[in-house]
Amino acid sequence: MPATAIAEADPVPAVTPPATPPSFGTLALRWYRLNRAGLRAIAIGIISLAAFLLLWHLLTTYRVVFFVRFTNVPSPLAVYASFTKAIHDPKFLMHVLLSCRRIFFGFSLAAIVAVPLGLIMGRFKLVHEIIFPVAEVLRPIPAIAWVPMAIMLWPTNEQSIVFITFLGSFFPILVNTLHGMSLVDPVLVRAAQCLGARERSIFREVYFPASLPHIFTGLTVGMGVAWVSLIAAEMISGQYGIGYFTWEAYSLVQYADIALGMIAIGVLGLGSSMLIRGAGQLVMPWRLK
Amino acid sequence: MNDILTKAPQGHIDVRNFSLSYDSIEGPVQAVTDTQIHVKPGEFVSIVGPSGCGKSTLLNAVAGFLKPTTGVVTVDGEKVNGPSAERGMVFQQYSLFPWKTVRENVEFGLKMRGMPRSQRERAARTLLGLAGLEAFEKHYPDKLSGGMKQRVGIVRALATGPKVLLLDEPFGALDAQTRVIMQQILTNMWQRLKISVLFVTHDIDEAIFLSDRVYCMTARPGSIKAEIPIPLERPRQQAMMMSSEFLALRRGLMSLIREESIKAMGGEISDLGMQGLNIELHGHSLADVI
Repeated sequence: MPATAIAEADPVPAVTPPATPPSFGTLALRWYRLNRAGLRAIAIGIISLAAFLLLWHLLTTYRVVFFVRFTNVPSPLAVYASFTKAIHDPKFLMHVLLSCRRIFFGFSLAAIVAVPLGLIMGRFKLVHEIIFPVAEVLRPIPAIAWVPMAIMLWPTNEQSIVFITFLGSFFPILVNTLHGMSLVDPVLVRAAQCLGARERSIFREVYFPASLPHIFTGLTVGMGVAWVSLIAAEMISGQYGIGYFTWEAYSLVQYADIALGMIAIGVLGLGSSMLIRGAGQLVMPWRLK
Repeated sequence: MNDILTKAPQGHIDVRNFSLSYDSIEGPVQAVTDTQIHVKPGEFVSIVGPSGCGKSTLLNAVAGFLKPTTGVVTVDGEKVNGPSAERGMVFQQYSLFPWKTVRENVEFGLKMRGMPRSQRERAARTLLGLAGLEAFEKHYPDKLSGGMKQRVGIVRALATGPKVLLLDEPFGALDAQTRVIMQQILTNMWQRLKISVLFVTHDIDEAIFLSDRVYCMTARPGSIKAEIPIPLERPRQQAMMMSSEFLALRRGLMSLIREESIKAMGGEISDLGMQGLNIELHGHSLADVI
């Protein structure tokens, strides 16, 4: 064939590298322009947090009683004081570490069981038909309602708390994995088949990566519910853990520690969902904008 | 690479006594009936027809996704029993794997075949180079334009060296200018690779410009209404689309399809659009006049 016909039709790639690198000043200015919206959000976020702290400070300093009673609520400074004391207290650190360990085991077990189960249920109709009804019956039962049953089921307190945490995160992960599987574009499956892919490869190369965004939604939601369940379980049956710490502070009339425990739970929950989001970005580089 | 470029003539598609129906609550529905088509090795054949006539159904049966109700589909004498890498397919919706880079998409078929990584990387790079896409090998499909995505789709389908290439309205989602360029690229690749092509489209110009032969299908249930050889010389240039020969072919195909489209729309439309209304508005609104 005449090569000219090919040459004239082949389009030239549209990328041309810039001749000279722009100066630092222009780069900084461009960066600012591109990120203006984000910077604005950060600035407003800082201001709003500061306003919240100030309001809290005023409400507690003046012991406001207006429907809600701030008489016994600790002030931010009191909480900060108990925070500085707590970080040097090995007992407080142990509470935090134990809660983290329970989350780690409960949540990891849930992910290890729920993700493959959801993938298999999404792929094989019979498995779905067998397991789905049972899952639907158990799903609406809140993890906290399992506490008495868990204590009966497991020989140690520690195991039953991990079990509660497991249950809390299990169903969000399962449901979202199933949802992801149901949304896999059938055209992609056909494309893979046309390229010689067999069942196993299609599962690994198409169904699994296609479901990943929903799996990570499930993991994020599951992590949130894991903390909810853990704290409840610790408050009811625990001897250690940050939930127990918070409840104990109430019993011992150490009001600053109540707020400290609450804030610690919030920070730990935020940190763990950030970890999951980070893992999601590592695993799904194609989703980065 | 070389085994893709120099291939003994093969890729004879033969569809015989083909019909396909599916079940519905009102009983079986005939999608395609009594159809014979064939594509000779290295030939470029298009199927055109009104929408819903079953041309994609026919193509999907050749690909192996659908089983014929009666009749048989063979490629080089072998019965088609399911999808295989021997029959490459390009879809209208691009269908690139979003989680794979451009190069990984192109490598996919070779990976399924068990080719070692370094070897398939090299093969994919060469192919992408031929399509002018080497600068984009590390991009994810999301970042590409429609035309580039479909170039990757074609290269991916060709990478395993299939006997035939099946295309299901591949340029339907592209704008007019891009479509013309893509048609050129496809003809050039086809001429280099000497591969048999079965191309489904509803665009008559596209079918004539690309094909050696065009099958025109009837409205549902689809069957072959006419088979039109396209004797235009190759290589084909855009300017040919203005030639009297091209326009005559176009006129012929147009009227064939028009008949079928009207049938497909209900069969009773005697006149198209407002001509039957015969009202002169003279600046009044239609509601005022009626």
